[in-house]
Amino acid sequence: MSSLQQYGLLLGITIGTVGFVLSLFALARTFGKARREPGKDVPATAGQLSRDPVWVRYHARYYGYALLFLAFDMEMAFMYPWAVVYKQVGLVALLDMGVFLAILFLGLLYGWSQGALRRQ
Amino acid sequence: MTSLLIILLLLAGAYLVAVLEAWIANGRLRFATPVLAGIAMLGRESIVPRQPDRIFFETAPVLLLISAILGAMVLPLTPDLITTDLATGALFINAALVYVLVALLMAGWGPDGAYAMIGGWRFLGQLIAYAMLIVMPITAVAMRAESLLTTQIVVSQAGLWNIVYQPLGFGLFFVAAMALAFLPPFDLATANSELASGVEAEYSGVRLAVFRLARLTLVMTLAAATVVFYLGGWQGPWLPPWAWSGLKILAVTAAMLLAGRLMPRIREADLMAWGWMLGIPLALLNIFLVGVLVLVWP
Repeated sequence: MSSLQQYGLLLGITIGTVGFVLSLFALARTFGKARREPGKDVPATAGQLSRDPVWVRYHARYYGYALLFLAFDMEMAFMYPWAVVYKQVGLVALLDMGVFLAILFLGLLYGWSQGALRRQ
Repeated sequence: MTSLLIILLLLAGAYLVAVLEAWIANGRLRFATPVLAGIAMLGRESIVPRQPDRIFFETAPVLLLISAILGAMVLPLTPDLITTDLATGALFINAALVYVLVALLMAGWGPDGAYAMIGGWRFLGQLIAYAMLIVMPITAVAMRAESLLTTQIVVSQAGLWNIVYQPLGFGLFFVAAMALAFLPPFDLATANSELASGVEAEYSGVRLAVFRLARLTLVMTLAAATVVFYLGGWQGPWLPPWAWSGLKILAVTAAMLLAGRLMPRIREADLMAWGWMLGIPLALLNIFLVGVLVLVWP
């Protein structure tokens, strides 16, 4: 199979999964419908509407981790092609990536020393 | 044809995970329970909470299921029993499984309920803790195989399985896979005792059935990924390849479920601290060690 066909197959599986779920919904529908009754559709907060609104802004207390995560996640995009040719290129590849990772790791250590690795 | 067979096997696997989970949780081995519970869930009402974000609410369980199924599509059970032998297989499974986070965030945001919302945001923090520990060990596996083809990764372990070659990577990947599937010590998003099931709290009836099915499939996918990346896939003496794959996947699933029973639920802040202060240095060390090993002793 060419790679285009492979991705086509994956798309087909995605659509097929949606179809499977829809058919489950249709099957459940034949068993009966939910009756509309007062209070039934209240979200699970002890039977009452929650005191405060839920859709508000939240403090991401792990933002220190999140910023470091971005740096590491980008770095991993470079790691995959490097990993594939690693054995061919040999020692040079190890040293190249070693320097790169060492700098990145120093960044992690610096962030750690500045208190980035805790809930703020 | 192959893809249909694999999807059926995946569903059978999800059923076995459900049986195993119940067996490990309450000590009763009952084979009919998951089927009966599933049918019962179809028969119950599926309530939509008031004022939901309808698109997010409806999409979340389906997206979780799609993510788990697509992840499994690049994993070989035998040399031929694989749906798509993508040249970027080891990368594709990462891409597919990232949608677990998207689905859980949608499930948290959608119903406009406090418990669900907290569960969803917690899982975002959990992603920051585990994501690197999924990606980095796979890099080390690809370094040894010189390829991102999953079949090639299995073939590269013919002499020595990766669990022996890079045990550090295996340990990190195993734990991170449990965190990705939100299995018990890491079930922050669906904590029963704290959040009344968190992101699952507002789902009922058929939608809950899809959600649970997706979660079981996800466990299956991750167990299969562990087997392919670290336990030599279909390889083994005497038995045919498919039997080895099946046995190993079931063993890994049982190990994941058992490990969860032995530990208390970890706090989100602790999980991130462990992930970044211990996990990532160890993962980098793993890449370096494997790098040296691959050059010295391929």
